Amino acid sequence: MRPPLARAALALYPPSWRARYGDEVLALLDDSGGGPAAVASLAWHALPAWFCPTRHLHDRPARMRASLATALMSWSMLAGLGLVFAQLTQLQGITVPGHLQVRWAYLVFDVTLAASALIAGLGGLPLWVLMLRRARREQRVRDTLCLLLPVLAPVAYLAGLVVTVRMIGGANGVSQAWFGVVTAAGFAAAAIAAAGPGLALRRLQPRGPALRLAAAAAGVSAAVMAVAAVAIVVAVTSLNLWARQFAGYHDGTLSGIYLALVVAAATVTTVSAARGTRAALAQP
Amino acid sequence: MDGVTDRLDRWADPPLLVLASLADEPKHGYAITQDVAETMGVRLSAGTLYAVIARLEARGLIEPLESDDRRRPYRITMAGAEALAQQSERMSKVASVARERLSTRLGWAGA
Repeated sequence: MRPPLARAALALYPPSWRARYGDEVLALLDDSGGGPAAVASLAWHALPAWFCPTRHLHDRPARMRASLATALMSWSMLAGLGLVFAQLTQLQGITVPGHLQVRWAYLVFDVTLAASALIAGLGGLPLWVLMLRRARREQRVRDTLCLLLPVLAPVAYLAGLVVTVRMIGGANGVSQAWFGVVTAAGFAAAAIAAAGPGLALRRLQPRGPALRLAAAAAGVSAAVMAVAAVAIVVAVTSLNLWARQFAGYHDGTLSGIYLALVVAAATVTTVSAARGTRAALAQP
Repeated sequence: MDGVTDRLDRWADPPLLVLASLADEPKHGYAITQDVAETMGVRLSAGTLYAVIARLEARGLIEPLESDDRRRPYRITMAGAEALAQQSERMSKVASVARERLSTRLGWAGA
Protein backbone atom coordinates (compact mmCIF):
# COMPACT_ATOMS: atom_id res chain seq x y z
CA MET A 1 0.00 0.00 0.00
CA ARG A 2 1.31 3.40 -0.89
CA PRO A 3 0.29 5.69 2.00
CA PRO A 4 -0.17 8.79 -0.18
CA LEU A 5 -2.84 6.98 -2.22
CA ALA A 6 -4.64 5.75 0.88
CA ARG A 7 -4.41 9.19 2.45
CA ALA A 8 -5.75 10.76 -0.74
CA ALA A 9 -8.72 8.38 -0.66
CA LEU A 10 -9.28 9.16 3.01
CA ALA A 11 -9.18 12.88 2.25
CA LEU A 12 -12.39 12.39 0.27
CA TYR A 13 -14.31 11.61 3.48
CA PRO A 14 -16.02 14.17 5.70
CA PRO A 15 -13.67 15.58 8.37
CA SER A 16 -15.67 14.07 11.24
CA TRP A 17 -15.48 10.62 9.60
CA ARG A 18 -11.74 10.96 9.06
CA ALA A 19 -11.19 12.07 12.63
CA ARG A 20 -13.08 9.07 13.97
CA TYR A 21 -12.02 6.23 11.64
CA GLY A 22 -9.04 7.55 9.64
CA ASP A 23 -6.28 5.99 11.75
CA GLU A 24 -8.09 2.67 11.99
CA VAL A 25 -8.56 2.49 8.22
CA LEU A 26 -4.88 3.26 7.62
CA ALA A 27 -3.92 0.59 10.15
CA LEU A 28 -6.16 -1.92 8.38
CA LEU A 29 -4.63 -1.05 5.02
CA ASP A 30 -1.14 -1.38 6.52
CA ASP A 31 -2.03 -4.81 7.90
CA SER A 32 -3.80 -6.11 4.84
CA GLY A 33 -1.38 -4.62 2.32
CA GLY A 34 -4.31 -3.46 0.20
CA GLY A 35 -3.58 -2.37 -3.35
CA PRO A 36 -5.24 0.05 -5.75
CA ALA A 37 -8.51 -1.92 -5.58
CA ALA A 38 -8.72 -1.39 -1.82
CA VAL A 39 -7.97 2.31 -2.25
CA ALA A 40 -10.59 2.58 -5.01
CA SER A 41 -13.15 0.90 -2.76
CA LEU A 42 -12.23 3.27 0.04
CA ALA A 43 -12.66 6.25 -2.29
CA TRP A 44 -16.00 4.94 -3.57
CA HIS A 45 -17.44 4.63 -0.08
CA ALA A 46 -16.66 8.30 0.60
CA LEU A 47 -19.77 9.24 -1.39
CA PRO A 48 -22.33 7.69 0.97
CA ALA A 49 -20.32 9.04 3.90
CA TRP A 50 -21.13 12.53 2.61
CA PHE A 51 -24.69 11.93 1.47
CA CYS A 52 -25.83 9.77 4.40
CA PRO A 53 -23.67 10.91 7.32
CA THR A 54 -24.10 8.80 10.42
CA ARG A 55 -25.67 10.62 13.32
CA HIS A 56 -23.09 9.74 15.94
CA LEU A 57 -20.43 11.58 13.91
CA HIS A 58 -22.54 14.67 13.42
CA ASP A 59 -20.80 17.54 15.17
CA ARG A 60 -23.57 20.15 15.08
CA PRO A 61 -21.58 23.14 16.33
CA ALA A 62 -18.77 22.38 13.87
CA ARG A 63 -21.33 22.07 11.06
CA MET A 64 -22.89 25.41 12.01
CA ARG A 65 -19.51 27.15 12.20
CA ALA A 66 -18.35 25.77 8.85
CA SER A 67 -21.65 26.66 7.19
CA LEU A 68 -21.60 30.15 8.64
CA ALA A 69 -18.05 30.78 7.39
CA THR A 70 -18.87 29.55 3.88
CA ALA A 71 -22.25 31.26 3.69
CA LEU A 72 -20.75 34.54 4.90
CA MET A 73 -18.09 34.47 2.19
CA SER A 74 -20.50 33.54 -0.63
CA TRP A 75 -23.11 36.01 0.67
CA SER A 76 -20.50 38.78 0.52
CA MET A 77 -19.63 37.87 -3.06
CA LEU A 78 -23.32 37.79 -3.98
CA ALA A 79 -23.89 41.15 -2.30
CA GLY A 80 -20.91 42.53 -4.23
CA LEU A 81 -22.36 41.24 -7.49
CA GLY A 82 -25.68 42.79 -6.51
CA LEU A 83 -24.07 46.16 -5.90
CA VAL A 84 -22.40 45.96 -9.33
CA PHE A 85 -25.85 45.28 -10.76
CA ALA A 86 -27.30 48.27 -8.91
CA GLN A 87 -24.43 50.51 -10.03
CA LEU A 88 -24.77 49.55 -13.70
CA THR A 89 -28.56 49.69 -13.89
CA GLN A 90 -30.54 51.44 -11.20
CA LEU A 91 -27.99 54.10 -10.35
CA GLN A 92 -27.56 54.90 -14.07
CA GLY A 93 -31.29 55.64 -14.23
CA ILE A 94 -31.92 52.74 -16.57
CA THR A 95 -35.65 52.15 -16.47
CA VAL A 96 -37.55 50.45 -19.22
CA PRO A 97 -40.97 51.75 -20.20
CA GLY A 98 -43.34 48.92 -21.02
CA HIS A 99 -41.25 46.33 -19.19
CA LEU A 100 -42.70 46.27 -15.72
CA GLN A 101 -40.74 43.18 -14.77
CA VAL A 102 -37.51 45.20 -14.84
CA ARG A 103 -38.88 47.88 -12.53
CA TRP A 104 -40.32 45.20 -10.23
CA ALA A 105 -37.03 43.34 -10.29
CA TYR A 106 -35.22 46.52 -9.18
CA LEU A 107 -37.68 46.97 -6.33
CA VAL A 108 -37.53 43.33 -5.25
CA PHE A 109 -33.72 43.43 -5.36
CA ASP A 110 -33.52 46.58 -3.22
CA VAL A 111 -35.92 45.27 -0.60
CA THR A 112 -34.50 41.75 -0.40
CA LEU A 113 -30.85 42.86 -0.33
CA ALA A 114 -31.61 45.22 2.56
CA ALA A 115 -33.73 42.62 4.38
CA SER A 116 -31.11 39.92 3.92
CA ALA A 117 -28.32 42.15 5.27
CA LEU A 118 -30.50 43.21 8.20
CA ILE A 119 -31.44 39.63 9.12
CA ALA A 120 -27.85 38.42 8.85
CA GLY A 121 -26.60 41.37 10.87
CA LEU A 122 -29.16 41.07 13.64
CA GLY A 123 -28.87 37.28 13.82
CA GLY A 124 -25.08 37.31 13.82
CA LEU A 125 -24.59 40.25 16.17
CA PRO A 126 -24.87 38.31 19.47
CA LEU A 127 -22.36 35.73 18.25
CA TRP A 128 -20.00 38.44 17.01
CA VAL A 129 -20.19 40.32 20.33
CA LEU A 130 -19.69 37.07 22.26
CA MET A 131 -16.59 36.16 20.25
CA LEU A 132 -15.21 39.70 20.39
CA ARG A 133 -15.57 39.80 24.18
CA ARG A 134 -13.88 36.45 24.55
CA ALA A 135 -11.04 37.41 22.20
CA ARG A 136 -10.44 40.62 24.15
CA ARG A 137 -10.75 38.90 27.52
CA GLU A 138 -8.20 36.29 26.49
CA GLN A 139 -6.04 38.95 24.78
CA ARG A 140 -6.18 37.18 21.44
CA VAL A 141 -5.06 40.04 19.23
CA ARG A 142 -5.30 38.14 15.94
CA ASP A 143 -8.84 36.99 16.63
CA THR A 144 -9.86 40.49 17.72
CA LEU A 145 -8.48 41.85 14.48
CA CYS A 146 -10.26 39.14 12.47
CA LEU A 147 -13.55 40.00 14.14
CA LEU A 148 -13.08 43.71 13.43
CA LEU A 149 -12.36 43.13 9.72
CA PRO A 150 -16.06 43.38 8.69
CA VAL A 151 -15.88 46.99 9.92
CA LEU A 152 -12.28 47.84 9.03
CA ALA A 153 -12.21 46.43 5.48
CA PRO A 154 -15.29 48.31 4.16
CA VAL A 155 -14.18 51.55 5.87
CA ALA A 156 -10.70 51.25 4.32
CA TYR A 157 -12.24 50.45 0.94
CA LEU A 158 -14.66 53.36 1.03
CA ALA A 159 -11.91 55.75 2.11
CA GLY A 160 -9.72 54.51 -0.74
CA LEU A 161 -12.64 54.83 -3.13
CA VAL A 162 -13.32 58.44 -2.18
CA VAL A 163 -9.64 59.37 -2.57
CA THR A 164 -9.37 57.51 -5.90
CA VAL A 165 -12.48 59.12 -7.38
CA ARG A 166 -11.32 62.58 -6.30
CA MET A 167 -7.91 62.03 -7.84
CA ILE A 168 -8.86 60.44 -11.14
CA GLY A 169 -12.60 60.96 -11.53
CA GLY A 170 -14.05 63.33 -14.09
CA ALA A 171 -17.48 64.83 -14.56
CA ASN A 172 -18.80 61.42 -15.67
CA GLY A 173 -17.11 59.46 -12.94
CA VAL A 174 -14.17 57.15 -13.57
CA SER A 175 -13.11 55.43 -16.77
CA GLN A 176 -14.14 51.84 -17.58
CA ALA A 177 -10.69 50.53 -16.65
CA TRP A 178 -10.74 52.31 -13.32
CA PHE A 179 -14.27 51.05 -12.73
CA GLY A 180 -12.86 47.53 -13.14
CA VAL A 181 -10.07 48.27 -10.66
CA VAL A 182 -12.46 49.77 -8.13
CA THR A 183 -14.84 46.81 -8.53
CA ALA A 184 -12.04 44.26 -8.09
CA ALA A 185 -10.85 46.13 -4.98
CA GLY A 186 -14.42 46.05 -3.68
CA PHE A 187 -14.63 42.29 -4.06
CA ALA A 188 -11.25 41.93 -2.35
CA ALA A 189 -12.46 44.09 0.54
CA ALA A 190 -15.67 42.02 0.78
CA ALA A 191 -13.66 38.79 0.80
CA ILE A 192 -11.35 40.10 3.55
CA ALA A 193 -14.33 41.36 5.58
CA ALA A 194 -16.01 37.95 5.33
CA ALA A 195 -12.86 35.91 5.92
CA GLY A 196 -12.19 37.59 9.28
CA PRO A 197 -15.19 36.23 11.18
CA GLY A 198 -14.79 32.91 9.36
CA LEU A 199 -11.26 32.54 10.73
CA ALA A 200 -12.38 33.65 14.17
CA LEU A 201 -15.15 31.02 14.12
CA ARG A 202 -12.58 28.39 13.30
CA ARG A 203 -10.15 29.44 16.02
CA LEU A 204 -12.53 30.34 18.85
CA GLN A 205 -14.98 27.48 18.15
CA PRO A 206 -18.02 29.07 19.80
CA ARG A 207 -21.04 26.93 20.73
CA GLY A 208 -24.42 27.55 22.29
CA PRO A 209 -27.55 29.61 21.61
CA ALA A 210 -25.74 32.53 19.94
CA LEU A 211 -24.24 30.14 17.37
CA ARG A 212 -27.63 28.51 16.75
CA LEU A 213 -29.28 31.91 16.34
CA ALA A 214 -26.62 33.01 13.85
CA ALA A 215 -26.94 29.77 11.87
CA ALA A 216 -30.74 30.01 11.78
CA ALA A 217 -30.59 33.68 10.79
CA ALA A 218 -28.09 32.82 8.05
CA GLY A 219 -30.63 30.38 6.61
CA VAL A 220 -33.38 33.02 6.50
CA SER A 221 -30.96 35.64 5.19
CA ALA A 222 -29.75 33.29 2.45
CA ALA A 223 -33.31 32.47 1.41
CA VAL A 224 -34.11 36.18 1.12
CA MET A 225 -30.86 36.78 -0.75
CA ALA A 226 -31.78 34.02 -3.19
CA VAL A 227 -34.84 36.09 -4.08
CA ALA A 228 -32.52 39.06 -4.69
CA ALA A 229 -30.45 36.86 -6.99
CA VAL A 230 -33.58 35.87 -8.92
CA ALA A 231 -34.44 39.57 -9.26
CA ILE A 232 -30.98 40.24 -10.70
CA VAL A 233 -31.38 37.41 -13.20
CA VAL A 234 -34.83 38.66 -14.25
CA ALA A 235 -33.65 42.26 -14.67
CA VAL A 236 -30.42 41.50 -16.53
CA THR A 237 -32.07 38.91 -18.77
CA SER A 238 -34.96 41.25 -19.52
CA LEU A 239 -32.66 44.13 -20.36
CA ASN A 240 -30.57 41.98 -22.68
CA LEU A 241 -33.46 40.21 -24.39
CA TRP A 242 -36.13 42.82 -24.76
CA ALA A 243 -34.62 46.22 -24.15
CA ARG A 244 -31.09 46.19 -25.45
CA GLN A 245 -31.20 49.92 -26.12
CA PHE A 246 -31.46 50.38 -22.37
CA ALA A 247 -28.66 47.93 -21.73
CA GLY A 248 -26.45 49.76 -24.21
CA TYR A 249 -23.06 49.05 -22.73
CA HIS A 250 -23.92 45.61 -21.39
CA ASP A 251 -22.14 43.10 -23.55
CA GLY A 252 -24.08 39.83 -23.91
CA THR A 253 -21.09 37.61 -23.05
CA LEU A 254 -20.23 39.65 -19.98
CA SER A 255 -23.86 39.54 -18.90
CA GLY A 256 -23.80 35.75 -19.26
CA ILE A 257 -20.64 35.44 -17.16
CA TYR A 258 -22.11 37.82 -14.62
CA LEU A 259 -25.34 35.80 -14.35
CA ALA A 260 -23.39 32.55 -13.98
CA LEU A 261 -21.45 34.10 -11.09
CA VAL A 262 -24.69 35.29 -9.48
CA VAL A 263 -26.25 31.83 -9.76
CA ALA A 264 -23.10 30.14 -8.42
CA ALA A 265 -22.82 32.52 -5.43
CA ALA A 266 -26.54 32.22 -4.67
CA THR A 267 -26.36 28.41 -4.83
CA VAL A 268 -23.35 28.18 -2.51
CA THR A 269 -24.93 30.65 -0.08
CA THR A 270 -28.26 28.83 -0.01
CA VAL A 271 -26.83 25.32 0.31
CA SER A 272 -24.30 26.26 2.99
CA ALA A 273 -26.76 28.28 5.02
CA ALA A 274 -29.38 25.54 4.73
CA ARG A 275 -26.94 22.96 6.11
CA GLY A 276 -26.09 25.23 9.02
CA THR A 277 -29.75 25.94 9.71
CA ARG A 278 -30.57 22.24 9.63
CA ALA A 279 -27.86 21.63 12.22
CA ALA A 280 -29.18 24.54 14.32
CA LEU A 281 -32.74 23.21 14.29
CA ALA A 282 -31.88 19.51 14.69
CA GLN A 283 -32.72 17.77 17.92
CA PRO A 284 -29.63 17.29 20.09
CA MET B 1 -38.82 -6.57 13.93
CA ASP B 2 -37.65 -3.01 13.44
CA GLY B 3 -36.24 -1.27 10.40
CA VAL B 4 -32.64 -1.72 11.50
CA THR B 5 -32.79 -5.50 11.55
CA ASP B 6 -34.97 -5.55 8.44
CA ARG B 7 -32.02 -4.11 6.57
CA LEU B 8 -29.85 -7.05 7.60
CA ASP B 9 -31.96 -9.68 5.95
CA ARG B 10 -29.87 -10.39 2.88
CA TRP B 11 -27.44 -13.20 2.82
CA ALA B 12 -23.86 -12.00 2.86
CA ASP B 13 -25.04 -8.59 3.84
CA PRO B 14 -21.84 -6.99 5.19
CA PRO B 15 -23.47 -5.73 8.42
CA LEU B 16 -24.63 -9.23 9.19
CA LEU B 17 -21.19 -10.66 8.49
CA VAL B 18 -19.57 -8.14 10.81
CA LEU B 19 -22.09 -8.84 13.58
CA ALA B 20 -21.51 -12.57 13.17
CA SER B 21 -17.76 -12.06 13.32
CA LEU B 22 -18.05 -10.08 16.56
CA ALA B 23 -20.49 -12.55 18.14
CA ASP B 24 -17.80 -14.52 19.97
CA GLU B 25 -15.26 -11.86 20.96
CA PRO B 26 -14.22 -8.25 20.26
CA LYS B 27 -12.08 -7.75 17.16
CA HIS B 28 -10.41 -4.88 15.37
CA GLY B 29 -10.86 -4.11 11.68
CA TYR B 30 -8.19 -6.37 10.27
CA ALA B 31 -9.22 -9.27 12.52
CA ILE B 32 -12.82 -8.88 11.34
CA THR B 33 -11.84 -9.04 7.67
CA GLN B 34 -9.65 -12.09 8.32
CA ASP B 35 -12.37 -13.85 10.29
CA VAL B 36 -15.08 -13.10 7.71
CA ALA B 37 -12.84 -14.28 4.88
CA GLU B 38 -11.83 -17.51 6.65
CA THR B 39 -15.12 -18.55 8.20
CA MET B 40 -17.68 -17.11 5.80
CA GLY B 41 -15.74 -16.92 2.56
CA VAL B 42 -16.42 -13.23 1.93
CA ARG B 43 -13.72 -10.61 1.47
CA LEU B 44 -14.62 -7.22 2.91
CA SER B 45 -12.69 -4.23 1.61
CA ALA B 46 -11.56 -1.48 3.97
CA GLY B 47 -14.14 0.90 2.49
CA THR B 48 -16.99 -1.55 2.91
CA LEU B 49 -15.91 -2.61 6.40
CA TYR B 50 -15.67 0.87 7.82
CA ALA B 51 -18.89 2.01 6.16
CA VAL B 52 -20.54 -0.93 7.94
CA ILE B 53 -18.78 -0.28 11.24
CA ALA B 54 -19.91 3.38 11.15
CA ARG B 55 -23.54 2.33 10.49
CA LEU B 56 -23.57 -0.41 13.14
CA GLU B 57 -21.99 1.89 15.69
CA ALA B 58 -24.49 4.66 14.91
CA ARG B 59 -27.35 2.21 15.48
CA GLY B 60 -25.90 0.94 18.72
CA LEU B 61 -25.38 -2.60 17.44
CA ILE B 62 -21.64 -2.55 18.10
CA GLU B 63 -19.44 -0.37 20.29
CA PRO B 64 -15.75 0.55 20.23
CA LEU B 65 -13.46 -0.46 23.08
CA GLU B 66 -10.70 1.68 24.49
CA SER B 67 -7.37 1.14 22.80
CA ASP B 68 -3.97 2.79 22.85
CA ASP B 69 -3.29 1.32 19.45
CA ARG B 70 -4.55 2.54 16.08
CA ARG B 71 -6.32 -0.83 15.86
CA ARG B 72 -9.43 -0.16 17.88
CA PRO B 73 -11.43 -3.28 18.74
CA TYR B 74 -15.23 -3.44 18.56
CA ARG B 75 -17.66 -5.60 20.44
CA ILE B 76 -21.24 -6.51 19.76
CA THR B 77 -23.84 -4.86 22.03
CA MET B 78 -26.92 -6.50 23.51
CA ALA B 79 -29.03 -4.89 20.79
CA GLY B 80 -26.61 -6.17 18.19
CA ALA B 81 -26.74 -9.69 19.60
CA GLU B 82 -30.55 -9.61 19.54
CA ALA B 83 -30.58 -8.36 15.95
CA LEU B 84 -28.12 -11.06 14.95
CA ALA B 85 -30.14 -13.75 16.73
CA GLN B 86 -33.35 -12.67 14.99
CA GLN B 87 -31.68 -12.63 11.62
CA SER B 88 -30.02 -15.98 12.21
CA GLU B 89 -33.39 -17.46 13.11
CA ARG B 90 -34.95 -16.07 9.98
CA MET B 91 -32.07 -17.30 7.82
CA SER B 92 -32.31 -20.72 9.44
CA LYS B 93 -35.97 -20.95 8.51
CA VAL B 94 -35.25 -19.84 4.97
CA ALA B 95 -32.43 -22.39 4.69
CA SER B 96 -34.63 -25.12 6.13
CA VAL B 97 -37.49 -24.41 3.73
CA ALA B 98 -35.09 -24.16 0.81
CA ARG B 99 -33.43 -27.49 1.65
CA GLU B 100 -36.76 -29.22 2.12
CA ARG B 101 -38.19 -27.98 -1.17
CA LEU B 102 -35.03 -28.64 -3.12
CA SER B 103 -34.99 -32.13 -1.70
CA THR B 104 -38.60 -32.75 -2.69
CA ARG B 105 -38.27 -31.37 -6.18
CA LEU B 106 -34.75 -32.23 -7.22
CA GLY B 107 -33.77 -34.94 -4.80
CA TRP B 108 -31.01 -32.66 -3.55
CA ALA B 109 -29.48 -34.02 -0.35
CA GLY B 110 -27.65 -30.87 0.67
CA ALA B 111 -24.03 -30.18 1.28
